[in-house]
Amino acid sequence: MLMRSRLSGAVALAAAVTLALSACGSGGASGGDGKTFTVWWYEDAGNPQDAAWQDALKDFQAAHPDVKVKFERKVWQQIQDAGAMILNSNDVPDLLEYNKGNATAGAVSAKGLLTDLTAEAAKQGWDKTAGSALTVGTYDSKGLMGPGKVYGIPSYGEYVSFAYNKDMFAKYGVTVPTTMDQLVAAFETFKAKGITPLAESAGDYPAQHLLWGLAVAKADRNWLNGYFGLKAPLDTSAASPLTQAAQTLADWTAKGYIDKKSTGLKAEDAWDQFRSGKAPITYAGTWMVGDFKEKIKSFQWGQFLMPGSGISAGSGGNIWVVPTKAGNKDLAYDFIKLTMDTKRQNLMANAGGVALAADPAAVTDPVGKQVNETFAKLASSDGLGLYGDWPVPNFYQVIFSNTQTLVGGSQTPAQFMEQLKKPYDQVQSSVG
Amino acid sequence: MSTAPLSHAARKGYLRYLAPGALGFAVVVLVPFVMNIAISFTAWSGIGTPTFTGLDNYQRLIHDEMFWSAFAHSIWFIVAMAIVPTALALVLAAGLFDYLEPRFGPRVSSALRAGFYLPQVLPVAVAGIVWSWILTPYGALNGVLQKVGIADPPNWLGDTSWAMPSVMLVLVWMQLGYGLVIFMAGMARIDPQFHEAAELDGASWLTRFRHVTVPQMRPEIFVVLLTTTIAALKVFGPVFVLTKGGPGDATNVPSYYSYSNFFGNLQVGYGSAIATALTVVVIALTVVFIKIQSKAEGA
Amino acid sequence: MALTTKVAPPATAARPRRRGRRPGAATDRAGSASRHRRGITRWIVLTLLVVTMLVTLFPFFMAAINAIKTVGDYTAHGPLALPRSFDLTAIKDFWRNVDYTNKLFNSILISGSVAVLGTAISLLNAYALGIGRIKARKALLVTLLLATTIPQEALIYPLYYLAKAVDLYDTRLVVIIISSVMSSAFGTYLLASVLSTFPPEILEAARIDGAGRWQVLRHVVVPVIRPTLAVLMTLFFIWTWNDFFLPLIMLVSNDNQTASVALGSLQGQYTSSPTSLAAASLLGILPAVVFFLIFQRTLTRGAVAGAVR
Repeated sequence: MLMRSRLSGAVALAAAVTLALSACGSGGASGGDGKTFTVWWYEDAGNPQDAAWQDALKDFQAAHPDVKVKFERKVWQQIQDAGAMILNSNDVPDLLEYNKGNATAGAVSAKGLLTDLTAEAAKQGWDKTAGSALTVGTYDSKGLMGPGKVYGIPSYGEYVSFAYNKDMFAKYGVTVPTTMDQLVAAFETFKAKGITPLAESAGDYPAQHLLWGLAVAKADRNWLNGYFGLKAPLDTSAASPLTQAAQTLADWTAKGYIDKKSTGLKAEDAWDQFRSGKAPITYAGTWMVGDFKEKIKSFQWGQFLMPGSGISAGSGGNIWVVPTKAGNKDLAYDFIKLTMDTKRQNLMANAGGVALAADPAAVTDPVGKQVNETFAKLASSDGLGLYGDWPVPNFYQVIFSNTQTLVGGSQTPAQFMEQLKKPYDQVQSSVG
Repeated sequence: MSTAPLSHAARKGYLRYLAPGALGFAVVVLVPFVMNIAISFTAWSGIGTPTFTGLDNYQRLIHDEMFWSAFAHSIWFIVAMAIVPTALALVLAAGLFDYLEPRFGPRVSSALRAGFYLPQVLPVAVAGIVWSWILTPYGALNGVLQKVGIADPPNWLGDTSWAMPSVMLVLVWMQLGYGLVIFMAGMARIDPQFHEAAELDGASWLTRFRHVTVPQMRPEIFVVLLTTTIAALKVFGPVFVLTKGGPGDATNVPSYYSYSNFFGNLQVGYGSAIATALTVVVIALTVVFIKIQSKAEGA
Repeated sequence: MALTTKVAPPATAARPRRRGRRPGAATDRAGSASRHRRGITRWIVLTLLVVTMLVTLFPFFMAAINAIKTVGDYTAHGPLALPRSFDLTAIKDFWRNVDYTNKLFNSILISGSVAVLGTAISLLNAYALGIGRIKARKALLVTLLLATTIPQEALIYPLYYLAKAVDLYDTRLVVIIISSVMSSAFGTYLLASVLSTFPPEILEAARIDGAGRWQVLRHVVVPVIRPTLAVLMTLFFIWTWNDFFLPLIMLVSNDNQTASVALGSLQGQYTSSPTSLAAASLLGILPAVVFFLIFQRTLTRGAVAGAVR
């Protein structure tokens, strides 16, 4: 008897649980009642963007005391992989930080999944605040970045540069390189002392940033426009900046400037080699500046840009997008507005982040000052070279895995280019 | 042995007990299965309406090197998930059951069995974190190897030629306990007289293993091989958490390839075609396996 | 669930094929055992097997000792050294950052519901097929067997699409429903073969006493096959707990995510020091070990059922 009642009890419990769950409904859904505001971003806790936006959330709550604020921290990779899948559902947040580029924001905007923010941006003056960085949020009807409608608002900027250990440079008598030859000479100096100079990770995103950094340093604006606009099939000749970059990357690994084992290292492993003083140089985006600033205590460090054409990997930061199906768009606009105001922009800059509209006089932190000045210079000289994976869907994964095998030495630069050409040309022929 | 024959009416009365299961099966398996096949004949990004393209996806499939190399990798996964663990588990089970248990008692052998089985209950995501942490170039394993004098230990998951063996090692580790538990349970079924007779004839443990244990364990070996081979063809989790199919496409498998087409490339039609092809292979293999088995039993 | 890449052992059957020996075999063995108790070879074999097992458990050991080290200790002495410091910061940080309490709750809720619901569906199906012996029984069973072999990739996109259409995307409920049904394909197959050998005289006696079908199920069948039901529930619980693919696709809100997915998506996260990864591993391992200790007997009990017959 006992047993039987237990089983029916269990079945009843299951039924009850199931009912209770259906009542819970979806976690990400926004009701559209103006009573809840759901926002997602994937900045690491405590980094400059996160610090500024958390501050904005406080002010937002104060301004909307009756609104329940639901914030979720996501992971960049998760949004990269599943962003389209989430936006294509009814369970969308009111506002999210989304990945810029044709393959991500562009593709979903073309499918009508993002709210057109052109009018709102003009009304609120965000187009002026963001300036040229607004490009990363502007897409045409095919989802290609460039003149079109505004679907995303960047509230910060970023660029990728070398970070170097000033103490080690001084110890080995190395000066900050301004040409490629000097850079290679610096590598040689460290190499001769048994130090692998460049901390790198090819088991994660950093190596493809280095590849792209090397490519844009050989490129001009014309080549970049062709590449991103899918104007022609991918040029795989030896003269193509991308081929040259692949060659350089292969050479640097062969000569031991880059550890061959970096194919099995995650980004964090590479940063750790730099932070712990094992490697004197690394190639890192400005999103790491806050981290370096906070965690590197035992030596002085600085930055220098990739020597070459004056173009660096970089762009406006990732963008705020409002899903078409968002229920509380006005609340989303209110929050974007807070992240774009001077208070937040100054806060971000002083924490070491790249602000778009900080008041230079208010930026007192030396690290923050340097990165903001560098970004402003790059932006005004048309020196932001964006990122190589933007033109084609899933190109991120393609470049990533092929850079990994290139660094690992199991693929030649020519083979590497062939692997990239296939998906690029496939999309190019259907769009162009 | 069978229940008393039931009248037609009596049988019909049982139909309603099938209702919840049948409804669930239709919604969760049947309809999606048919939809997937239908989608495989279209070009679709997952958003908007699919365009019918006939056999285009399958034509592309046939000429897609990536797809074929993914299938070729499946063979390595069958080795790592079905063949090696089954063979090892059989030896281990015989060692524990026929050798250790009579000598040290059942407690010792079941404690050892528990130890070998533990990786089976570990979530694959967790196994992935643990192992990638151990196999990273400057991680725990290479630390040990350097201590014992190997100056330049391999880059386990990052090197094209080492990645597959490394993933295979992890899979053997995960799968070993499954066969072990089933074989040990199966050995309890063998009449001890077989072993005793052989022992009296002076047969060594190895001879008894070959001539008594293995032939007697045929049904269990069949089940373990079948289930693990199917699992190997469908493997996704370990690849996702350990290598994401890399480096390059060194460890790419059909299931991961279809996943990346669904959600990465937004080529849902092509992803569906890959998934459909995989399904056909798995089902065909199952049918062949079972046919062979029933023939063997009939003989 | 039944369609995951990892397989758990088929469960016990009600058939008199118990783990352990035939009645009477125990004494035979004891006799032969005394003959074995000499010689050094057995110690060598024991040592060999124990060492092999320790190698198998090595990853668990590594996660445990490194999760409680300070970063400094780790850097200074490497991953192999025993901890010289005791520091729960990495574990606490990880717990707080991913809100592990919530993830564990979701996993327990989903796995527990699937265990109950999946077993219930299996039981009802098997009752109709095994005892009711309805028409087309064989064809249905073969269909179910083949269904367990369908790769989830062949179902996932339509499931994702349908879930959105009925507004169940990103709910724990949808994972419960799908996992329950998929698990029940295996459960039905197993239970049906167990029930097809159910002693007919017991059923007959109950019918003569005037018991209806439902009463026979509740008062006669369930009590007898209770051990098999327990095994099924355990398997379903652990399958669902370990499942990665379905929750990865279906549950996007942090609030709904399971422990498995939360741990798996760590891989892409930018911040990951060695000690915090070890902490994450340990927190992932612990529930599995706890279940293992609780369910060990159920999990490893019994002979190969289902497929052998």
